[in-house]
Amino acid sequence: ARGGARGGAKVVVEQHRHQGVFIGKGKEDVLLTKNMLPGESVYGEKRISVDAEEGKVEYRVWNPFRSKIAAAIIGGIDNIFIQPGSKVLYLGAASGTTVSHVSDVVGPTGLVYAVEFSARSGRDLINVAKKRTNIIPIVEDARFPHKYRMLVGMVDVLFADVAQPDQARIFELNARNFLKTDGKFVISIKASCIDSTAAPEKVFVEEVNRLKKDGFRPEERITLEPYERDHAVVIGSYRAPPKDKKSKK
Amino acid sequence: GDENFYLLFETATGFCLFQRLFGEEIGEQSKEYQESLAEASKFKKLFKLKKFGPFTSAEEALDSINSVSEGVVNETLEAFLTSNLKPSNKITVAVGEKDLASAIAELGYRSFTSSQVQEFLRGIRGHFHSFLKDLKAGDLEKAQLGLSHSYSRSKVKFNVNRVDNMII
Repeated sequence: ARGGARGGAKVVVEQHRHQGVFIGKGKEDVLLTKNMLPGESVYGEKRISVDAEEGKVEYRVWNPFRSKIAAAIIGGIDNIFIQPGSKVLYLGAASGTTVSHVSDVVGPTGLVYAVEFSARSGRDLINVAKKRTNIIPIVEDARFPHKYRMLVGMVDVLFADVAQPDQARIFELNARNFLKTDGKFVISIKASCIDSTAAPEKVFVEEVNRLKKDGFRPEERITLEPYERDHAVVIGSYRAPPKDKKSKK
Repeated sequence: GDENFYLLFETATGFCLFQRLFGEEIGEQSKEYQESLAEASKFKKLFKLKKFGPFTSAEEALDSINSVSEGVVNETLEAFLTSNLKPSNKITVAVGEKDLASAIAELGYRSFTSSQVQEFLRGIRGHFHSFLKDLKAGDLEKAQLGLSHSYSRSKVKFNVNRVDNMII
């Protein structure tokens, strides 16, 4: 599909390796999600409209400097698990900028339970969710999942970007309540939030070890340079059945 | 079945009481329980939905979540419990959180929470739709959506006890 970005430049949109994510090929390649609400930006991000067989399709530019998931995708992470139809529990939703892209990715058959504690960010999040009905906004402390247990169903993917020293514990509490068996997790780790004196690499290893004790099986870890300093994203499975090492019993 | 052991499961559409159909010998780590998590038909041999008490209005749902999240039994929950189970110290109503357990114990039941109870509730959450046949696909999510907006709106309005991150 060919289309014009603002200014008339030609952009070709291609499907990314990850379902529900797209690449705009132009002078510079950009990451895109298909806009659920054509004609509207959420936080001032650029939109690109292209002609497709089904008519005009609009995409929103997903900036890796503003979103750790976008940075992880551009960094070449193997899987983000968030795809059309996924139910996602998103901890640390902030004002809902990345959440809005996750809402585009999962689409009308998916669901994003978005948890944010700060009242100020929560207001913005509620406003984003007013128009995007696949976002369930939860202004509450992710440390106390029992407070929002009436609002959340079992989910396919748990994502966290909470930047708190006790984030491994927050993650575990939420997974135990809401992440299905063999569900997938994506966690963003900011080294300085956990231990500002230790070397980031050491912090990442310790956090991963903590997760392993709680039923998480890490499968891949990448750092987010050049988009974020001393950040890592770890993905994997929760309470996954043990891998059969031998094919015969 | 066990006539004396029940679990309270709270949802956006209403309160539910589940009855345990097995004895103490089945722990949450047992093979039987773990296998039942993957298959609704097996899980339904372990728990039975005794009663579903749907909320009759958005106000009732909001009052209920506000109470439950603070560990308080509101009128709706008290009426739901006492009309379905006669209060007695022989009857256990296990719940997901300790403050609510204390409040339910004050009604005259035995009530507690434990990691085992949490595991059972996790199973119920996963199989919820197979217990409530009248609930159409998407109904629960619609209720969650409506309730999340009213709950969250009230949180951003009345934040007297909350310290926002004001460090700039």
